[in-house]
Amino acid sequence: MVQVRFENVVKYYGRKLAINDLSFTVKEGDFFSILGPTGAGKSTILKMIAGIEPVSSGKIYFNDIVVNNLSPHERNVSMAFETYNLYSHFTVYENIAFPLRAPKWKLNLTRDEERKRVTEIASFLGIDKLLERRPQALSGGQKQRVSLARALVRKPQVYLLDEPIAHLDAKLKFSTQTLLREFAVNYGSTIIYVTHDYREALALSDNMMVLRKGKFDQIGTPEEIYYSPKVDFVGRLVGEPPMNMIDGELIQQDGKTFFKAGNSFTIELDKKLAESAGKNSFKADGKTNTRLGIRCEDIRPSMKKASKNSFQLPVYVIVHEAESSVISFELENTFMHARTSESDVFRNLKGSDMVWLDFNTERMLFYVKTMEISKA
Amino acid sequence: MSRVDCNNVWKIYTGNVIGVKDLTFTCNDEEFLAILGPSGGGKSSTLRMLAGLEEISKGEVMFDGNVVNQMGPTERNIALAFESYALYYRMNVYENIAFPLRARGMKNADVDKNVKDMAEALNLTTILKKKPAELAGGHQQRVSLARALVRKPNLTLLDEPLSHMDQRIRAEIRAQIRRIHEEFGNTTIYVTHDQAEAISLCDRILILYNAEKQQIGTVDEIYNKPVNKFVAYFVGQPGMNFIKGKIEAHNRVYVNSGDGKKVVNFNGEVDSKYIGTEALIGVRPQQIKATVNKETTSVLAGDVKIVEFQGDNDVLTVELGDTGKTNIQVVVPAGGIRFKRGDRCWLEFDPNFVHLFDNDEKSIIRR
Repeated sequence: MVQVRFENVVKYYGRKLAINDLSFTVKEGDFFSILGPTGAGKSTILKMIAGIEPVSSGKIYFNDIVVNNLSPHERNVSMAFETYNLYSHFTVYENIAFPLRAPKWKLNLTRDEERKRVTEIASFLGIDKLLERRPQALSGGQKQRVSLARALVRKPQVYLLDEPIAHLDAKLKFSTQTLLREFAVNYGSTIIYVTHDYREALALSDNMMVLRKGKFDQIGTPEEIYYSPKVDFVGRLVGEPPMNMIDGELIQQDGKTFFKAGNSFTIELDKKLAESAGKNSFKADGKTNTRLGIRCEDIRPSMKKASKNSFQLPVYVIVHEAESSVISFELENTFMHARTSESDVFRNLKGSDMVWLDFNTERMLFYVKTMEISKA
Repeated sequence: MSRVDCNNVWKIYTGNVIGVKDLTFTCNDEEFLAILGPSGGGKSSTLRMLAGLEEISKGEVMFDGNVVNQMGPTERNIALAFESYALYYRMNVYENIAFPLRARGMKNADVDKNVKDMAEALNLTTILKKKPAELAGGHQQRVSLARALVRKPNLTLLDEPLSHMDQRIRAEIRAQIRRIHEEFGNTTIYVTHDQAEAISLCDRILILYNAEKQQIGTVDEIYNKPVNKFVAYFVGQPGMNFIKGKIEAHNRVYVNSGDGKKVVNFNGEVDSKYIGTEALIGVRPQQIKATVNKETTSVLAGDVKIVEFQGDNDVLTVELGDTGKTNIQVVVPAGGIRFKRGDRCWLEFDPNFVHLFDNDEKSIIRR
């Protein structure tokens, strides 16, 4: 088990910059997720740690040792790929046992010991009935669990898992996610996990990184990422619906500060919020603008005016889910969503009806604009 | 617009493979109905028979009371939108939407009015001159929908329209599809394997599994009155928990635990024939209340094994103190207690939301 550290790592594919001067540390025994959209550079990072891709410049450390020049097997990592990479002429059992038999690890297990290890991990992942089959006879979801079992069967310095449950159906994905968390908790190994699904990253990680175009926007605990995104991009990537991002103008009037979101609404900011908004403002068309970020559960809808700060908007549509309802509003360049657990209050609500809204001011965040937001 | 009836419809493929078995249901005029189920359950066969793309082996499909079995897809006047948008890539958005109208020989002036009205309704006015390749997925989706709706169809059929879409825009597209349905008042049938999508979009849900109808009902009926274990587990994320129990009386079931019988109360009653038999007690993770201390209403206790943070809630995996050491999941909403691994936790079940399933996995409580 090791600590993994990146020091000013740069990676070019030809002329294309994939990883841009990246430095970060994964603590020993940490479950560390890398979350980002397609093309952000997530898999490239894993491949560089594994030694499959060389770095263009910078250093990768395992504890205090620079591993740049070590071959993949000298690094002693275990990897699961999104694409499974199973040996089609082997049975499932042989595929999972393969890393245990590789001479380089000098495990020298007896047949019984080997069978015990393979069966254990296979039953843990619910594929113990498939051990005698060949990969061709498996569904995509089954293949993916075999690939995962093969990665987990051995105890390496670090586990590298690249979207290892992306192809499972929703129910199985959720239960396998729980198993992975259990595995991490029981074995306390260093695990680096790549995903584009924010729910997996939040549920599994001790710490996580949000990656955008080869650089990270934020590293923190799942709670920090969810409740205090540092950049608008992080807020948009995490949560469903994504965090509302409302662009507006900051207006000073009679010693008071107001946030004016186009023609939709204007709200007064208290001193603390005004200060935060001022720090995160930017100039556009000669006006002082800022971007307000607020999660849908922090906007409280009601049918009556609830406070002096309440304001009214026409409903675009209401969508009732099993345990809550999401009311959507159309603003100038985006939609705003509010979630309520009081579904019954809004049961007969229709498009164009007016609803009163209150923002939870403690959860309002202001951002400099680093990405465009438009209606889908 | 149109009401759809399926009466004892079968689809039997060569080799006697049954795709759809004796399916009967009604989709009312202006209703938004989801057909939900895992892959291989018969959803697509059903949709294709409604569309006229596949022959009906037995039974009748009726639109507004008229049998349409023998009609081709065009005669049925159906709008179809598939998960792949199938737009014409060489034409701009305007021409894509206009295509079905021109194919009917409509006059230019009428085409123009229809296309513009539709574009207005679906928020596409600003992109009419663009080519599909220049558009984001959500826009392409709406163009596909606009082209389907511009003919004023009797019925709109949507087959997994969101399955390849980025999660960040899904909520938005769902909202738009729902709004379009409300504005146009079309009868819409929506096929999906995603239970969350079915729940949030539709008025009623039909669940197909193993070629058979399991249940049809409103979201509330499906979620809170599932007829069998399959429906109970398939709908809801995470799915319903099941704990082994024994039925003691019409209105009593208990769980065996290390320190004796724990009675689980439920509202309603079961038939006398079940008294003395074993049954599975079903409780949704979202409908369990977890507390640190034992309350008078606590039913069972367990140890927290795993905590998964989900943003707006925590999902706990709790090992119960019953003899089977059952693992169940509990959803604790944000703002509630933050449990940690190893914590003891007491669980309270709402008697209105406790379910019982017999050996055949059928729900047996009469309320």
